[in-house]
Amino acid sequence: MADTTVLYHCPHLDPPHGPLPPELLSSSASLHALPELYFCEECDAVRCNLCVGVEVASYFCPSCLFDVPSANVRADKNRCARSCFSCPQCSSSLQVQAADPPTGEVSSSSGTGPFLLICPGCKWSSREVGWEFEKSSGLAQQLARVHSAAEVVQSEFDSLKDHLETYLTASAPTPAPTSRTRHPTRHISHLTQMAAKALHREIPGMAAASARTRGGRNAVKSAEDRVGWDEMKEYEAKGRCAGLEVDKAVELEELREGEWAGAVAGIEQTWAKSWDGDRRTKALLPQRIPLQTKLTKRCPAPTCRHLLIQPDSKSTRMKIKMVAANYLPAVEIGRRRRRIVPGDASEVPAEDVERRRRERRKTRGAKEEDEVMTDPLRPGEVYYFQLALTNPLYDPIQIRLTHAHAKSSAHTIQNDNAVIHIVTPHFTINALKDAWAYDEEEDEEEADFEGTEASEEATGSIATGSGTGSGTVGRKGARMSLLAGGSVRDNGKERRDGVERKGNVSKVGVEVEVSPQARGLIEFDIEVRYTYRSDEGEEKADEDVGVKDASGAGAGAQGGAEGYKTFTFWVRVNAGKVEPVLVK
Amino acid sequence: MGAFDPLITYEKGTYIETDTGNKVSRKAVVTGAQNIILGGKSVIQTGAILRGDLQRAQAGHHVVISMGRYCLVGEGTVIRPPGKMYKGAFTFYPVKISDFVHIGPNCIVEAAQIGGGVEIGEGSIIFSSVSGSSAKGVMIRGKFVIIKDLAVIRPGTVIPEATVVPSMSIWEGNPGRIVGTLPETYQDTVEARCKSIYQRFRAVTST
Ligand SMILES: [Zn+2]
Ligand SMILES: [Zn+2]
Ligand SMILES: [Zn+2]
Ligand SMILES: [Zn+2]
Repeated sequence: MADTTVLYHCPHLDPPHGPLPPELLSSSASLHALPELYFCEECDAVRCNLCVGVEVASYFCPSCLFDVPSANVRADKNRCARSCFSCPQCSSSLQVQAADPPTGEVSSSSGTGPFLLICPGCKWSSREVGWEFEKSSGLAQQLARVHSAAEVVQSEFDSLKDHLETYLTASAPTPAPTSRTRHPTRHISHLTQMAAKALHREIPGMAAASARTRGGRNAVKSAEDRVGWDEMKEYEAKGRCAGLEVDKAVELEELREGEWAGAVAGIEQTWAKSWDGDRRTKALLPQRIPLQTKLTKRCPAPTCRHLLIQPDSKSTRMKIKMVAANYLPAVEIGRRRRRIVPGDASEVPAEDVERRRRERRKTRGAKEEDEVMTDPLRPGEVYYFQLALTNPLYDPIQIRLTHAHAKSSAHTIQNDNAVIHIVTPHFTINALKDAWAYDEEEDEEEADFEGTEASEEATGSIATGSGTGSGTVGRKGARMSLLAGGSVRDNGKERRDGVERKGNVSKVGVEVEVSPQARGLIEFDIEVRYTYRSDEGEEKADEDVGVKDASGAGAGAQGGAEGYKTFTFWVRVNAGKVEPVLVK
Repeated sequence: MGAFDPLITYEKGTYIETDTGNKVSRKAVVTGAQNIILGGKSVIQTGAILRGDLQRAQAGHHVVISMGRYCLVGEGTVIRPPGKMYKGAFTFYPVKISDFVHIGPNCIVEAAQIGGGVEIGEGSIIFSSVSGSSAKGVMIRGKFVIIKDLAVIRPGTVIPEATVVPSMSIWEGNPGRIVGTLPETYQDTVEARCKSIYQRFRAVTST
């Protein structure tokens, strides 16, 4: 059963805009859960893990938790250089144990050598590959001294690296330190060019293709490009892999004769290792455990680059933590109810969505039944949901909800699967109170919960009363128990501003009419605009009021004179999955 | 977050509420209660087993299980202190559990230390001292699992002995391994969730 979700859109570096409609699969790439998003105050924009600039703040070993100085990381090849190894069979962290434990008592540091690496997960022992250690600490170093089998490979690698490095340093253009902002540097693009050239040389098909384009469009320029192609000297390999082939023969022989099951290492065990290695399971060696990092994250805007996340290397605290959850209201979907029409009071089939909605409201005796959020939705049914918005700010905010891909009506979303109507587009949310205020309130909580239940009962009765009940008009602070999906008549005028408030949470209704031919997920995008009091200067506020008026959020900030600001973001609501009712 | 979270109810009288707001099911098995410290506002659910009786071999009073505030021990979960051979005798070592630790139902936890803000999913096993035999038939008892602050152990994970679970990591599988990193907002999220669960854990009178 698909869980319902509300994901937030990150426009990355583009000017703020909504996501592509949910029908386009590619739109999902820039949608994230609110706790995973960042917020740049300088740019007044949402940022996500796909677009932030990332730098490594510190390295640590996930097994011994040692903070590795960044100066050592490269020499250590990004792996723990102490005694941390992972099991070649099951990848658990290996444990150091004395090979001959004294009196039935084994612990890593006690006892005398030799020592072995033992897997606590699968009981693998380094005895199987002939690894024994004199001391119980600094195993990686001991190993480097004893097992120098990789020396041939290492020296080959080193000489190849030297070969390439001389070329790089000789021909790399001097980086231009003109500005502090970091665009992709010319150095990098130079590297890319070199890579491209290398590719063209190595792959015959690529070379032919590139030759064609060159010849056709830009023959003169290609001649210029070609200059310098052969600056790099041929690299002469120091050794040959002839010796290795003998081993391979033995390996093959064994694999041919041995039992297949378990004899050949699985893809998971060899995934992160060299392709040329021994394929036999029993020949797999423990690997030093890869280091992990703590990351600093920056705003990606080239003119901004402000820190969004700065971790503390000593603790789990963040020195800087600019996360969207502290700026944007949290949007949740819940309280699903299905509309039940008594008898066979079939709907008036009408092309016009609005008319159908009005008809529905007039139908007498219709009521709603609470449903489990994770149950499948049924085609052709009408559902009422609540959207809950939680205010993260210490000031009240005003909300305006609209359809993100507005074509005809700003409050009705129509796609192949459903017609979604935002019942209460404008409303306010009370301020977040300080934590201590909540703690004091804890005793009141009990009363609050009972209150909620009571109000829910009340709304239920309004629903059965076919929409003629008198709604509770919300004064600030008072809990409103107006039925979200239902309408209430007041002096012949229709009122649909049902908002249920509790603390810094406001809940409003959303009506979802699942079309008879609906399949898959019921998803829709909502544009959320919120207006909040800003500490910034007056002149900025004037600007904002202008924007607001233009977009018709008139009811918004009446007191717009003193520093109100508006921020717009987009969410994709997944209300559930449609599964057809099986017909017998 | 959690605007639609429902109340979690229990029948009035089936839980004992302590002065510090702990709620302990009458059907939880708590042995050696004098060796167990609950920090307050923690919930021990029905069928949970807390082995406070497995204390150090040495004479005297020893704290066996200590637990912080806003913790939850799910139904059928067993918490027992880890033990090992020390100077020729088998002895147990205390379990330290910090604040905001939620252990789902049907887990077996023998960790030495569980840091603050740790979620352990349903049916997970946190080994400390798995008995096994070496070639010589000697019992092997290992070091203890340590779970640092802020970590998630997904349901059904088996964490082998001596494993260190670093902060901000997500673990899954048998044997468990790191499968992801938690978002920077995790501390706020987990603390709010633990408080919310405690506040929603209410007694109702059956009619
Ligand atoms: Zn982004
Ligand atoms: Zn920025
Ligand atoms: Zn290490
Ligand atoms: Zn293993």
